[in-house]
Amino acid sequence: MRPLLLLPFLLTSAFAADAVITYDEHIKPIFREHCLKCHGDDEQKADLNLANFTATLKGGSGDKAVIAGRSSQSLLFQAITAEDDAERMPPKKAAIPAPQIELIRQWIQGGLRESSASKSLVAERDTSFTPTTDIQLDGPPPMPESLTAFTPPALKRPLPVIAMAASPRAPLIAVAGHEHVRLLDATTQQEIGALAFPEGQPNVIRFSLDGRVLMVAGGKPVQSGSVVLFDVKTGKRLTTIGDETDAVLAADLSPDQQLVALGGSGKVIKIYGTADGKLRHKLTKHTDWITALTFSPDGKKLASSDRAGGIHLWDATGGGILLSLSEHKAAVRALAWRSDSKMLASGGEDGLLIWWDAKDGWPTVTKNNAHPPARPQGFYGKIPNGVLALAFGPKGELLSAGRDKQVRLWSPSGGAVKSFSYEAALPLQTSITFDGKGLFAGGADGLVRILSGN
Amino acid sequence: MLRPLFVLLVCAVSLCAEEAPSFRRDVMPILFRSGCNQGTCHGSASGKDGFMLSLFGYDAKGDYYRITQEMVGRRVNLAAPEQSLMLLKATGKVPHTGGELFKADTPYYQTLLKWIAAGTPDDAASVPQPVEITLAPERIVFEGGKGTQKTTVTARYSDGTKRDVTDLALFATNNPSTAKIDKDGLVAATGRGDTHVFARFNRFTIGSEVIVLPQDKNYQWTNPVANNYIDEIIHDRLQKLRLLPSELSDDETFLRRVFIDLSGALPTTKEYHDFMADTANDKRTVLIDRLLKSDGFTDLWTDLWAEMLRVKGGGYAPTATDVKAADVYYEWIHDQMAQNRPLNEFVADQITGTGSNINSGPANLYTMLVHDVRVTPKNLAADFSQLFTGVRIQCAECHNHPFDRWTQDDYYGWVSFFTGIQRKLGVEPREFYVFNDLSAAPAKHLVDERPMLPTVLGGESSVPKGKDPRQALAAWLTSPKNELFTRNLANRIWAHFMGRGLVEPLDDMRVSNPPTNGPLLDALAKHLGDSRFNLRAFIRDITTSRTYQLSAQPNATNAADTRQFSRSQLRRLRADVLLDAIVEATDGERGFGYFPKGTKAIQHYPRTPGDTTHAMTGDPFFETFGRAGRASVCACDTKLEPTLSQTLHMVAGETVQSQVGFGKVIEKQLKAGTPPETIIEDLYLRALSRKPKPEELKALLELVGSDTQDRKPYQDIFWSLLNSTEFIFNH
Repeated sequence: MRPLLLLPFLLTSAFAADAVITYDEHIKPIFREHCLKCHGDDEQKADLNLANFTATLKGGSGDKAVIAGRSSQSLLFQAITAEDDAERMPPKKAAIPAPQIELIRQWIQGGLRESSASKSLVAERDTSFTPTTDIQLDGPPPMPESLTAFTPPALKRPLPVIAMAASPRAPLIAVAGHEHVRLLDATTQQEIGALAFPEGQPNVIRFSLDGRVLMVAGGKPVQSGSVVLFDVKTGKRLTTIGDETDAVLAADLSPDQQLVALGGSGKVIKIYGTADGKLRHKLTKHTDWITALTFSPDGKKLASSDRAGGIHLWDATGGGILLSLSEHKAAVRALAWRSDSKMLASGGEDGLLIWWDAKDGWPTVTKNNAHPPARPQGFYGKIPNGVLALAFGPKGELLSAGRDKQVRLWSPSGGAVKSFSYEAALPLQTSITFDGKGLFAGGADGLVRILSGN
Repeated sequence: MLRPLFVLLVCAVSLCAEEAPSFRRDVMPILFRSGCNQGTCHGSASGKDGFMLSLFGYDAKGDYYRITQEMVGRRVNLAAPEQSLMLLKATGKVPHTGGELFKADTPYYQTLLKWIAAGTPDDAASVPQPVEITLAPERIVFEGGKGTQKTTVTARYSDGTKRDVTDLALFATNNPSTAKIDKDGLVAATGRGDTHVFARFNRFTIGSEVIVLPQDKNYQWTNPVANNYIDEIIHDRLQKLRLLPSELSDDETFLRRVFIDLSGALPTTKEYHDFMADTANDKRTVLIDRLLKSDGFTDLWTDLWAEMLRVKGGGYAPTATDVKAADVYYEWIHDQMAQNRPLNEFVADQITGTGSNINSGPANLYTMLVHDVRVTPKNLAADFSQLFTGVRIQCAECHNHPFDRWTQDDYYGWVSFFTGIQRKLGVEPREFYVFNDLSAAPAKHLVDERPMLPTVLGGESSVPKGKDPRQALAAWLTSPKNELFTRNLANRIWAHFMGRGLVEPLDDMRVSNPPTNGPLLDALAKHLGDSRFNLRAFIRDITTSRTYQLSAQPNATNAADTRQFSRSQLRRLRADVLLDAIVEATDGERGFGYFPKGTKAIQHYPRTPGDTTHAMTGDPFFETFGRAGRASVCACDTKLEPTLSQTLHMVAGETVQSQVGFGKVIEKQLKAGTPPETIIEDLYLRALSRKPKPEELKALLELVGSDTQDRKPYQDIFWSLLNSTEFIFNH
């Protein structure tokens, strides 16, 4: 394995490239042309006056019209970009020309500057990453030592790598197989054993924070689902949690190993105690299948996502809702916490890759098209560009996989570092080893590949 | 840069590819046949239970993605193919809203399993496409009212190969009370009549005719005279169905019928007496020829076209449909009808219509078909198609037409003829210039946003660039060889005279809605084209046929027939013709808002000082009697069904009351000292174009009684006549 060559950060913060757009110079003329007849000094439909900067910020009867830094969540921007003719502003007229809409977008993203002398209203954020000091744990890194011999079933072809995880303390990688989980030594690149999972397909694999417990969640589609905890050293089954009517699609083990959260097609998140296997909470807010669940490494929060693009942050112990993170327009496929619990990353079928500030749910960095597929010549229509997998490394770096068949490495602050072409098959899973030295990706062809530097 | 690691079991490419079923050729048809991609299941626009397929499979590429890529590991299981959710669902082994679709021992299951076991290979778009399907036999006759018949569906592919796809097709019948068809294509007779059964496969629909005949050994063809090709084809058809035509109508009935149908008016008493006194053998044909030249004929056909073309005049400038524009258009149509302008030229002029709406009549096709501030190309394209071809092409906007030959490619290529149609403000607010902006972007295909250049329906390639594509559109559409056009016109004109189109609804021409007499529609369409679209000559063919002149009285064989033209059908008069008939019968007067005094109802089109975007009939009487509000091009907007409010209006409404009460008909006769029997006869001739029967006369004379100067009983008689079904209907 070659050492990773970390390139200098490529600065692509959300609005570094945009020119300074101001209300006085750029935006007011647009409002005058299209909006002020109904939302001006003479008439204020919906109590909205866009004729001066202060009134514009104040908004109308329907809440604030613009939110600094978030065009997608600004009512004004939603109104002028609505696809439905009946909803779009200005009413009964052609849409505002695209270049003007882009100026408004940049103005909002750039922080609603009034004049060139004004400061951006987007708060400065501390997105720096400080590695948490290694969790002081007794004993050597937990590796399998005395697994019961298990022969995987003979198959015509392997299961696509729909789940994969790297131990946070040892050179160990666990990979989904058909009704089993295979364990790979990241250093020697040898398969060192397998764990039976007769429950069905492993849809989620996670290691506990101390690396001693392996959580495998899955089941048989539309038949049964559960979560099994294994002892990494011995391969013994510690407990089985949940008795679902469909395969578990999303699950995680809390850092203190007291709780397991699971979800799937039932749209409900269930939180079980691992000691007694009893249901503690049912979290009902998602409107579609649950696609990812993950506890923050500090154990305080639980992040969940669904197939309609919704993401919620929950109080991990009490079960109350903390924040709803709305930005995704299609299924969210992956969620991952940076190890300092300050940052949550999400990726989805809409091509968005977002680093969220967990404190207030602010999308600190948004990549609109993180995995852009090449467009063949003469090809029309939408090409799937979803982000399928995310994994943070110990230094805050993020490894993503997407439908463009690329695996990409991002810096802790969201800069693009490196891209690995993964042409053989669709990459479905990514992992970074505990020491940050090994980058792995698992594909739809059932193979795990190591991504080396250069 | 990438090194495979921990290589597990790998499927050798050559092994996997061997005998692997093709996704497009083998798998997609199973999804179709099993109903997976129908509208109530996964073919719904938003899918079903989280899984979406394209409706009836118009988007194979998208379906492949959704099955194999959207949720890797969920729908197919490459490691354990028989555990694939798709198979478990289809065989009902796990809960499935759609239940069990097939069993594990069927070829459907085996094909899907083999495909998954082979690694769900995608096939290039170069896989042979079906280009045609056939259903055999083409015609099935069940003697004695019962029997079964197996049908076979064969698909021909783009590489020339043929394949029996009976077990991959879907079947349907148009009338299960005549014949039903099961899912394997077995047809079974259920009752007397004729209908069609259909097979659908891929994007094709095809029908076979089924005739179920009763056990009837006494049937004897009566050998009626055939006046022309129409009668020959009708007689052939009636013999096949063991029906006998009714007798020829009597002269009184014929006279009234032909006047109403050809000139939109009742015959006067003088015309009645002249015709009845005429003893010439060809007097019917002579009358037809005279009426074809009448002003009434021109007015009536202007009225019919103005209704189809949605002519309405308003006072709201931005829609470009000012009264002035409507008037110019109406007058232009009237001129064309008066000159007997060939219908293809008449239509072509409108298609290429350009210029000022208040100066150029035909340019108003693009104001009156729209009635809106903005031209919406999709709406215009749909209305244009429905009007001039009878095809509801809008069904192919979101998916290939499920019951016809039209694809999304057809639809978007068609819409592109209209994406450049614009109107720009002229020198005054009412004036707009209609033009086609040749630089306008073509419509984009729904599935892949590909720009679709203007292409005629069923066309292989787009029309030549550079020129106004409307010229190519007009040339194609109005060609005598274009059956879409000739059949549509022939069917609409036929319906006016026979009370029913060969295809109903008139504007829903599709493979799965075949004509009740295919050879006749073909012959009519051909004659219309061959006559260089001569409207009067074509109508002469229809009205001189024995079929048109049959009585409405049924015989022992045809009482139940409403579709084969074995007898005349009772038809309620159109709202405008009815109003004119009341006015004419009573020597009355009836004005219309915004029109000069003396305007007849069939010379009237809706006018308003306001905007024209909504349904407008222009008069409360028209509203009640179902005149089209011209808010759409749908033929269904003209309503001929009787309603309670119509009855109430005739019984108690002011139209009949005032005309009978204040009309001078009775008063004049009484003043002249006309004897009661003559007055009664005159009232009969005015209303019903016939003399009273002796028993009617006897009863009515009793009603009049001895006070022969009292006009009340005459008014009651006249009122009753105008309220009779016989008056309101053409028979």
